[in-house]
Amino acid sequence: MSPTLKKVLWHAAMIVVVLITMYPVLQIFSISLRPGDQLYSTSLDLIPEGASLESFRTILFEKPFLRWLGNSLLVALSTAILGVTLASTAAYALSRFRLPGQKGILFAILTTQMFPATMLLLPMYLLMRNLGLVNSLVGVILAYTATALPFCIWTMKGYYDTIPRSLEEAAMIDGMTEVGAFWRVTLPLSAPALVITFLFSFLAGWSEFIVARTLIVSRELNTLPLGLESLATTFQTEWANYAAGSLLVAVPVVALFLGLSKFLVEGLTHGGVKG
Amino acid sequence: MSRRGAIALFLIPSALVMGLIVLWPFVYNLWLSMTNLGLYTIKDGPDFVGFAQYLRLFGEPDLYEYLLRTLIWTGINVVFHVVIGVGLALALNQKFTGRAFYRGLLILPWALPQYIAALSWRGMFNFEYGQINLLLGSIGMDPVPWLSTEVGAFAAALITNIWLGFPFMMVVALGGLQSIPKEMYEAADIDGAGSWWRLRHITIPLLRPVMMPAIVLGTIWTFNNLNVIWLVTNHGEPADSSHILVTYVYKAAFVYYRYGYAAAFGVLIFLILLVLTWMNYRQADKSAYGA
Amino acid sequence: MMKHRAHLPTVLGLVLAIGVVACGPSRDDPNRLTVWEQMDPAEQAMLREHLDMFEDEHPGVRVDVVHFETENLRQNFQTAALAGTGPDLVYGPSDGVGPYSIMGLIYELEDPRLNIHPDTLALYLPDALPKVNGKTYRISDQIGNHLTLVRNGAFAPDAPMTMEELIRVAKENTIDEDGDGRPDRWGLVFNLAEPFWLIPFLGGYGGWVMDESEHPTLDSEAMVGALALVRRFIDEGIIPPSCDYPLSDTLFKQGKAAFIINGPWSWQGYRDVGIDVRLSSIPRIPETGLWPSPSTASKGYSMNIHVPETRLDLVVDLMMFLTSADVVGRLSDRIGALPSRIDVGNWPRVANNPELAASWEQLRRGRQMPLVPEMRAIWDVMRPGMQRVVSGSATPEEAAQRMQEDALRKIEEMKL
Repeated sequence: MSPTLKKVLWHAAMIVVVLITMYPVLQIFSISLRPGDQLYSTSLDLIPEGASLESFRTILFEKPFLRWLGNSLLVALSTAILGVTLASTAAYALSRFRLPGQKGILFAILTTQMFPATMLLLPMYLLMRNLGLVNSLVGVILAYTATALPFCIWTMKGYYDTIPRSLEEAAMIDGMTEVGAFWRVTLPLSAPALVITFLFSFLAGWSEFIVARTLIVSRELNTLPLGLESLATTFQTEWANYAAGSLLVAVPVVALFLGLSKFLVEGLTHGGVKG
Repeated sequence: MSRRGAIALFLIPSALVMGLIVLWPFVYNLWLSMTNLGLYTIKDGPDFVGFAQYLRLFGEPDLYEYLLRTLIWTGINVVFHVVIGVGLALALNQKFTGRAFYRGLLILPWALPQYIAALSWRGMFNFEYGQINLLLGSIGMDPVPWLSTEVGAFAAALITNIWLGFPFMMVVALGGLQSIPKEMYEAADIDGAGSWWRLRHITIPLLRPVMMPAIVLGTIWTFNNLNVIWLVTNHGEPADSSHILVTYVYKAAFVYYRYGYAAAFGVLIFLILLVLTWMNYRQADKSAYGA
Repeated sequence: MMKHRAHLPTVLGLVLAIGVVACGPSRDDPNRLTVWEQMDPAEQAMLREHLDMFEDEHPGVRVDVVHFETENLRQNFQTAALAGTGPDLVYGPSDGVGPYSIMGLIYELEDPRLNIHPDTLALYLPDALPKVNGKTYRISDQIGNHLTLVRNGAFAPDAPMTMEELIRVAKENTIDEDGDGRPDRWGLVFNLAEPFWLIPFLGGYGGWVMDESEHPTLDSEAMVGALALVRRFIDEGIIPPSCDYPLSDTLFKQGKAAFIINGPWSWQGYRDVGIDVRLSSIPRIPETGLWPSPSTASKGYSMNIHVPETRLDLVVDLMMFLTSADVVGRLSDRIGALPSRIDVGNWPRVANNPELAASWEQLRRGRQMPLVPEMRAIWDVMRPGMQRVVSGSATPEEAAQRMQEDALRKIEEMKL
């Protein structure tokens, strides 16, 4: 097969995949354009009759969208920073220090994810109430970090395991401390894993609804998912505004991903030490 | 700083956060599962009933059907998530024009709020007016009764969840591909290896350490994923036949107020996942878990 | 990525500081009240107006409102109240009262600590004071929530008087304009996926969900009749078989349906997109001569059992204010809600407004849903039963029988 044909076919395949991925997104866009809050449509038209961008204007300027955005940014960024910090350090200890009972610890971390979340809400509420953290963003951040940590620790550890220990040992021979070696040698090489961890923790804090709904009860603290919920009642929902809001909610995430993917895709060499 | 000090500094904060936030609710549920806390016992306090709720649970006739459906649901989802995710990561790992554009678009299913995405998909599966049947009709095929049949509804929820879940695996795979040194591929090229060989003998084995956490946890999360099935099948359409284990727990707790029973159910789900993961842990290549 | 660790203490400190500030005022503050609600946007706006009025009359007092979607409100209120906290007043439909009262989460309004005089309560319509075991647990500011027959005046100018007439007109209005084998306009649309829409027909055939001793009566001839009627709509081709709420809503809004059965929360939305909305009662069932009875509910305020002593009187004041003649009247005038008070009701306000009059007529033919927790089980079994009949996998007789068996079983299980 000629290289050009290969290239064309490949691009065609990619376009098909992207179209399939994008189609539901375009549906949501249609909802935001449709007058009268119609969730379903009755035709294949993507641009509905009477389309207008009114819903975007409404959600941005007539609803406290910017406040929701601010709260969500605070929560998601804090979760991400906290998650990366705690996971990158804990995983390092597990990867490098061969602690006794290590397999057990790793497995135990995993088990924290196995309990169905719906049953954890009431005790979590009780706990937060006793800590005085109900209706505060700190409580929510802690809860999100705790649920994101297992994945982050395991991922960081898996990545560290592909980096030879000899690199840190060489640095320590040159006079660095363990912590210094971690900071200067290991972390930079782990950039792709840090990106995954950061993105994952950010999204854990950005799009979560149930825990936020249970812990936050005052309007000023509404995060984006909670804010969007305020557009819904049992049967009637302001679908156009909801759809517009949902699309806007996705924008920072895409921007973050694109910004971080520089570290995700550019290959990093390991200095040819791998033997 | 001493080695011990470093270890402590590195481990304790994580242990604290996870212990507090996850361990306590779990212990609470263990206690709850041995009581009969329900609508009529909340006011004056529940009684301790030992293992009665568990016995009741095992006597539940539909339990095994829900378990089977949950296993099938989880299995199919994870397979598709991983295959699509890794495939796309391989494609996006090469340099080509417009790569950033594709990347940005392909992450959208993960970036959008699940609620409206799931409901929007539900609309697309509508028999008369959903886009999927309309598209099938435009190429001359018969419309599929998605949501009014058991298999159709299950398929609809599956398709929706696959769409929602592959970007995550794609991102993890993209990161994992970076840990594979270029020299390995160069050496293989020198030996004249084809791309299929490279995939089987270099990419996949070296991708495993980074993908394993995502796959294991992805399996656990999918097993316990309530939202998508609930929203796409409108609480279990048709006629309560789409339930998996967690949707049943949700109903027990929040529709029927049977908190004690639901807690026991939660513990059961936990044990099932524990056993499944443990079995996999022993079997799989230990190095994949980095032990 | 590398710099973050150095800034970590700063970030954590900042986050904690914000958290403390965001923690909110002390629970016992006698001047800070909270209300949780699940209102429509129009109602929310009016609530804020009324609360501003209340605050003006009580200087120094602040009332905070938090909005939830109905199911979330139910769960969150439960969680909070079980933990000993929660809002002072919770606003919602009357069916919340059953479980809350049994769990001991809300005040009985006859409780002497509240100082509510029986004469005050006598000013409300009976339906506006949901009772469990003879005790009142809520005061409503509106009654309604009743499904009504809504027609598009352009297609069906007159109100059908009997079910047969409705079906006939609906058939005339099911038209395939472009000849592709699929109707472009449907005669009738409504939510086939939720038993709430089955209830009117159940009443129309002379049945109900339970008897006076709260025993389910789901395998009655009336239930079979109701299910058969729904099946008939589908067989006559006047309704799309996959019609759920969003689809019925969309079709009617797009002018692709002649009749829709929907409740008061939706009517303004149809008017807003230019549909010529006309209301009438769901027409009589010829076989029984009865009018279909949609379920009616009231929406109102209950008091959290955990309201601290320091605020008790103020909270009672607020509750009575929000259900006073003045406020109820304004709600009725501005958003067309049917009033909950006798002194505001009947009466020129309603009679002079044709829309309200039609709505009121349907409401009078409606029937209040029982408030007991057993209803949760009953709704839960009616849903799959109705779906089975709609999808054709069971006959009405089979579905009704199964509903009854399942309901009895689930009610027993609720006690475990």
